[in-house]
Amino acid sequence: MPGSLVTSRLAIVSGKGGVGKTTVAAALAVAAARAGKQVLLVEVEQREGLAPLFGEKHIGYEEARLAPGVTGLSVVPDEALVEYLYLFYGIRYVGRVLKGSKAVEFATNIAPGLRDILLIGKLKEAERRKVGGDYAYDLIVLDAPPTGRLPRFLEAPRAVVELVHSGPIRQQAQGVLDMVTDRKRCQVVLVTLPEDMPVAETAEAAETVSKLGVAVGPVVVNGVYPDSFAPDDLDAVANDARTTLAHDALRSGLSLGDEALENLARVAGAHARRTVHQHEAIAQLESETGLPRLTLPFLFSSRMGKEEVARLADLLAEQGALEENGAAR
Amino acid sequence: MTALSELIADRHILVCVGPGGVGKTTTAAALALRAADEGRRTIVCTIDPARRLAQSLGLDALDNSPRRIKVPSAHRRAPELWGMMLDMKSTFDDMILDMTSPERAQQIFANPFYQHVSSTLAGTQEYMAMEKLWELHEEGRWELIVLDTPPTRSALDFLDAPKKVTDFLEGRFLRLLLWPYLYAGKTYLKAVNFGAKAFLKVATKITGSELLADVANFFMAFEGMYDTFKDRAKRVHELLAARRTGFVVVSAPQEASLREARYFVQRLGAEHMPLGGVVMNRTHVVPAAAGLEDPRALAERARAAGNGRVLAPALDLYSWWREISLREGDAVKAALGDLTDVPIWQVPDMADDVHDVPALRRVAEELLGPLPPMPPGAAAPPKKESSES
Repeated sequence: MPGSLVTSRLAIVSGKGGVGKTTVAAALAVAAARAGKQVLLVEVEQREGLAPLFGEKHIGYEEARLAPGVTGLSVVPDEALVEYLYLFYGIRYVGRVLKGSKAVEFATNIAPGLRDILLIGKLKEAERRKVGGDYAYDLIVLDAPPTGRLPRFLEAPRAVVELVHSGPIRQQAQGVLDMVTDRKRCQVVLVTLPEDMPVAETAEAAETVSKLGVAVGPVVVNGVYPDSFAPDDLDAVANDARTTLAHDALRSGLSLGDEALENLARVAGAHARRTVHQHEAIAQLESETGLPRLTLPFLFSSRMGKEEVARLADLLAEQGALEENGAAR
Repeated sequence: MTALSELIADRHILVCVGPGGVGKTTTAAALALRAADEGRRTIVCTIDPARRLAQSLGLDALDNSPRRIKVPSAHRRAPELWGMMLDMKSTFDDMILDMTSPERAQQIFANPFYQHVSSTLAGTQEYMAMEKLWELHEEGRWELIVLDTPPTRSALDFLDAPKKVTDFLEGRFLRLLLWPYLYAGKTYLKAVNFGAKAFLKVATKITGSELLADVANFFMAFEGMYDTFKDRAKRVHELLAARRTGFVVVSAPQEASLREARYFVQRLGAEHMPLGGVVMNRTHVVPAAAGLEDPRALAERARAAGNGRVLAPALDLYSWWREISLREGDAVKAALGDLTDVPIWQVPDMADDVHDVPALRRVAEELLGPLPPMPPGAAAPPKKESSES
């Protein structure tokens, strides 16, 4: 499935709230690291969602190793502004004065989108960073804001370019805009569940993102339930699980009481109906977006940690989500 | 503990809060629909930019003004359900028009900085939701207002929103920094402290002077309006804390969502906000059943018999879901178990997506039981107070 490759150097992972985009971002990073890449995994808005997935308490603004080949970073606008001032102007003192004062909140609120520019700007810096002639990171995975806020996030550089007519901020914004609109450098990976509403929102987001001139990569369909029943049996189980089960039990020589049959029928029926809806939702995704798909199963677990991420990473790798490092681009 | 049915029957405002992706909008819609089915004139207001409520009611579009939602009746009388979708920018515009002279308002609208602030400033969305809530309350047309809230990661945004926005607009510090722009032509710069001067120098360097001038004009235009802002924020706060308001925390039984739910519950308590309870969506309750003590072994037997095409996978699924159900129960207990005075209302995971009226009614039934029969005397249609499209 070459179409499902994540080929850009920056992968912006987004999706409707609750679809598991943080987990998918982490799994993608781990899969890439296993393929030999140096990966930077970034979170914004201090959502603290990534750390527990790697058994850590906290990810800070200092880049720190999370797993072999995976470095974690939490981008905070205040810190990014101070760093920006230092990098571009050599201003250290003011940076320190500003930090903690309301000025930073102001500055990040004042220029519309400045906050987002600082966040994406930090990603651009990491994307361009070189160590001894090679890029420091082969892939940067961003656990991005949910799809509802994604357009605003991606629009920020353009808004700033339009509003600020000169000066370094404009240059910075232009540089960021160049990166996000270059499909070799930046791709949006949308995560969805195989349900109507997330699929509808994903299709909508794919369209909006494309209109902004940003490339949309593969869609990750997360939380897919196993096809437990044969396609021929699906309708019968969905509509009247109990009769089918009683019939099977009789023929298998198992004596199941009313209570057992009732409970089995409830679970089996719900699962079968879910499977039917799931197929419909995936078909809808296919017809509305035509985007290549990566599929991840529903994990029967109420907590996500290292093991779960590793399993999902395996599954992404098996589906060819990432090329081996060093392959021609 | 209050029963959810009481909240539906006698509260004036219900605010649904919680993390994203747990079915908050659906819950808000289901509660509003039930109240309407019980004969209360109800409006549900959502602020989600993804237009999910519109979808979940099978409507193409809701907008910033209340619209009657056509709902097939569950009783003799057609339910009076209204819906609206908050548009931040027009709510902000309306508010400014309401607060100042038309000339001043036009001046503010024309400012490029305002155009961005009104839609992007952190907390604006939450603040405008509160403003709209007040407006709907003031209009007095609805017996119940159900408010859906944005899935802000932190509840702080929601409760602090008025303060955050007024602080920003008041911006004493900013005004100090922008002194030379605010009083252009006068040489007050000497009076400004070093930090401010340095900041200004940097800010000009970074953003260019036009933007700073826009910002200064923006703050000038708001001159004299800060107290009004504060008063409005205060009365909304009082409305939220009122006895006839109820907060409903919506969650799902996964650790991450439960952590958020706990935070919401505690924070509402600390702010003395009237918490109704927690709606726990997407739960899997699979009870132990006689004869299914060892489903895996039964599945093996069915497979061995060669006739377990449906039975064997059904037994496997039962065993899976039973395990999930136990784990979810543990997770809920671990997260909320010590908050004994907080009722938790469960909604089982629906195999079908909830996006139409019958499905919303099923959700309401899971939460509240079957729709009670119409009380005698309530059957006659109420006198029309206003005729809306």
